[in-house]
Amino acid sequence: MGAYRAEDDYDYLFKVVLTGDSGVGKSNLLSRFTRNDFSNDSRATIGVEFATRSIQCDDKIVKAQIWDTAGQERYRAITSAYYRGAVGALLVYDVTRHVTFENVERWLKELRDHTDANIVIMLVGNKADLRHLRAISTEDAKGFAERENTFFMETSALEALNVENAFTEVLTEIYRVVSKKALEAGDDPTTALPKGQTINVGGRDDISAVKKPGCCSA
Amino acid sequence: MFGRLRLTTTMAIRSVSVVFFLLIIGGRWIVFADGSSGGAGRNGYSGGAWSSAVAPSNVGLAVAVTVMAGLAVAFTVAYSRRGSIGSPWSLRRRKHALQPSQWNAFFNDQGRLSDGGVKFLKKVRSGGVDPSIRPEVWPFLLGVYDLNSTEEERDSIRQQKQKEYENLRRQCREIHKRNENGCDSKQTAQSSNTEDSQVLDSHDIAEVNSSKRSIQVEEESEKLNSKSILQDGDCEENSTNSEETETSPLLEKEEEAESHDTVSSDSTNSEETETSPLQAKDEAECVNSEETETLPLVAKEEAESQDKVNQEKDTLTPSPNPKSQAEEEFNTTWQRIIRLDAVRANDEWVPYSPSQAAVSDKKARGIATEVGLNDYEHLEPCRIFHAARLVGILEAYAVYDPEIGYCQGMSDLLSPLIAVIEDDALAFWCFVGFMSKARHNFRLDEVGIRRQLSMVSKIIKYKDIRLYRHLENLEAEDCFFVYRMVVVLFRRELTFEQTLCLWEVMWADQAAIRTGIAKATWGRIRLRAPPTEDLLLYAIAASVLQRRKTIIEEYSGMDEIMKECNSMAGRLDVWKLLDDAHDLVVNLHDKI
Repeated sequence: MGAYRAEDDYDYLFKVVLTGDSGVGKSNLLSRFTRNDFSNDSRATIGVEFATRSIQCDDKIVKAQIWDTAGQERYRAITSAYYRGAVGALLVYDVTRHVTFENVERWLKELRDHTDANIVIMLVGNKADLRHLRAISTEDAKGFAERENTFFMETSALEALNVENAFTEVLTEIYRVVSKKALEAGDDPTTALPKGQTINVGGRDDISAVKKPGCCSA
Repeated sequence: MFGRLRLTTTMAIRSVSVVFFLLIIGGRWIVFADGSSGGAGRNGYSGGAWSSAVAPSNVGLAVAVTVMAGLAVAFTVAYSRRGSIGSPWSLRRRKHALQPSQWNAFFNDQGRLSDGGVKFLKKVRSGGVDPSIRPEVWPFLLGVYDLNSTEEERDSIRQQKQKEYENLRRQCREIHKRNENGCDSKQTAQSSNTEDSQVLDSHDIAEVNSSKRSIQVEEESEKLNSKSILQDGDCEENSTNSEETETSPLLEKEEEAESHDTVSSDSTNSEETETSPLQAKDEAECVNSEETETLPLVAKEEAESQDKVNQEKDTLTPSPNPKSQAEEEFNTTWQRIIRLDAVRANDEWVPYSPSQAAVSDKKARGIATEVGLNDYEHLEPCRIFHAARLVGILEAYAVYDPEIGYCQGMSDLLSPLIAVIEDDALAFWCFVGFMSKARHNFRLDEVGIRRQLSMVSKIIKYKDIRLYRHLENLEAEDCFFVYRMVVVLFRRELTFEQTLCLWEVMWADQAAIRTGIAKATWGRIRLRAPPTEDLLLYAIAASVLQRRKTIIEEYSGMDEIMKECNSMAGRLDVWKLLDDAHDLVVNLHDKI
C-alpha cells in the first residue's frame, strides 16, 4: 500500500491550468507536452482532465500538474472550482480564429477572479502552423500581452513548435517566483511545496516572453 | 485455465446451491464436487483442469476444516477479482439480447405490443437489444412511439414527426440566412456571397416545399428588427400554412409538443416553457399511458418528480428576453461549436453501420453543403456524412430546446443514435426522447448536474461509509471526479457497443417508469431490481465502488481519484457494472 512511486519524486508540484475557447487546441497542447502526442480529432473535453510531467529547474525537479478544462462557457461554473490552487495558466487562442482571441479578455478576467494574484499567465496563440489562415498578427497579440502583463508565445501543437518552450517558460517562472519568495520568507506556505528551500533566482529572460509576468507586479 | 478457475470460484460463491469448492494446495487445484447439478459453472469447467484435478478420498474432519479454509480462499479470490477485466461473472448473469424473432413475436395483428410492452422492457432491461433491430426498437424505448401504439398510429406519428423535423430544419436555415445577411451588411459585402448562395442551394436540395421559399423571402425583408425576428417568423408561418407548422421556433415548442390536440397556449408565455420543452402538459396525466398514445414524449414528464420541477422553476427566473437571446447564442456560439464538435466526432461507429460507412463522397459533400458545414477537408466521406448529420440534428435541437441549445457533450450522445438510425427525423426525435432526461446535465445553472453528483455521493455514502469517509477526508465527497461520466452517460468510458447496451438498459428502465409499468406490483415481483430513473447514477457509483480498495489504500488526493475515473476507458465490463448497479438499486432504492 502506498508504495513509493518514482514519479512522485519531485521537489515542487505546480498546478497549471489551460483555458481558452473550445477548439483552440488546449488538449493537444497538453498531450504534446506530456506525451508528445497529437490527435487530429480529439473530442471536446468534458469537465476537467489533467496530466503531469516533470521538468528540471536548476537542480530541482518540478512536477507540473496540468489541468485541461472544457472550453465552452456552459461548463465554467463547475470547472472554476478547478482553478483553485493554480499557480500558472496558459490562456490559449487559435491564431486562425479571431473570435477566440476576442474572448481572451473574458478568460483572463475569469482567471484573475478565481486564482491567486501571483499566478503566472502566458497568452498562447496556437495553430501557428496554419500560416495561410492566420487571422491575428503576432504584433497584435504581443501588444495585448504587454498591456495585460502576461507572457506570450505562439505555438503549434501539431508541429510541436514552441510547446515545450511555452510550458517550460511558465514553469520556470513559477519556480523563480516561488523560490524568490521562499528566499524572502524563509519558508513559503503559498504553494504546494514539499520543501521550502532557498533557491537561487536565476535570471534569464530569453525566449519570446515579452514582459516580466504579472506575478511580480499585479 | 486461470479464467476457468475464476469462473468456478465465482460460481461457487454466488449460487445458492454450491456445487464446487476449490482448494489451492501447493499450487495444485483440488476440486470438491457434490455431484449434483451442472450449469454454466460445470460447462465452463469441463476440460483439462477438471479431469486432472484430484479429489482426495478418505479424508474426514481435517478436510472439512480445510474445505472451510478453501472456501475462504475461494471467496478472497472471487472478491479480489471483482471489477477485473472480462469477468466471467457477467457472462453468467447476462441474459441474451432481445432477438429479432422475439421482438416480432411481441406484436399482435394490429402491430401492437401484446402485453403493453411489459415483456419487451423486461427483456431489454436484462440483456439489451440485438444490433440488427436497434433502429426499430429504439423509438419505442425512447418514447417516440408509445408502447401501446398500433402500426397505423406509428405511421401517422412518423409522418407528423417528419414534418415537424423538416420545419425545425427550415428554421435553422432561416436563422443562418438572417445571420449571414446581417454579416454581409456589417462586414465584407461580397466575400460571404459564396456562403450565401450555398444556403440557397441547400433550400433547393432540401425536401422543403417550394412554397416555403416565398415565406423565407418575405421574412428576409423583415429581418431588420432583430428583436422580433423570431416572433415575426412565427406569425408569418402560422398565417401562411397554419396546418403543418406546428413547430414554432425558439422557445415555443410547447405548441409543437401539443400541436394537433388541445390548447394552443398563448405563445409568448415563455416562463412555463423554460423549465422543459416537453413539460407543458405534464399535469394532464399521471399514470395512464393510454391518453398519451399520440404524443408519447409528453408522458415523460410524469417521471420528473414534482419537487424537482419546482426547484428548477425557482432557479430559472433570469433571462429576460430568452427568445432573441437564444437566436443570438445560436449565431455566436452554438453554430460554431456544433460544427467544431461534429468534425471531431470519432469514427468508432463505423464498423457498426456499414451502409453509412460506405456513403459516397458526393453524397457526403452534398449533405455537408446542405447544413453549411465547410471545415472538413481532412475527413473521409463517411465522417463528413456523419458530421453533417450531427450538425443538422443538433441545430434542429437547439431550435427545439433553446434553453439548452447546444452544449458540448451532446454530440457524444447523438453520435451513436445517428449511427444506428439512418433517418434524420427519426434520429432527431429519438434524441429528443433521450434528452428529455439528459438535458438536465447541460443546463446553464448546473442544477441537474449537481443533483446527480450529490446522488452518486449519497449512494456511495449509504453503501460504503468507509469509502465515503475517505472521500470526505480528501474533500472529494462532492464526487466531482465522476463529472464526465454523468454528463455524457459513460460514453467516454465505454466502447461504442458497451455504451449502447448500458443506454438500452437505462432507457428500458425509464420507459417502464414512463408508462407506469414500474408502479404495478408486477414490477416489484418480476423484476429483480425495480426500474429507476437513475440507473446511470447507480452504475457510476458502482464503478467507483469497484475501485474502493485502491482509492482507500492508495489515493490521497481528489486529483488521483479523478485520474482513476478518467482512465477507466476500456477497463470496464458493462454487464458487471449493470449487475452491481442493480444490486445497489435493490439495496438502496428505498433509502435514496
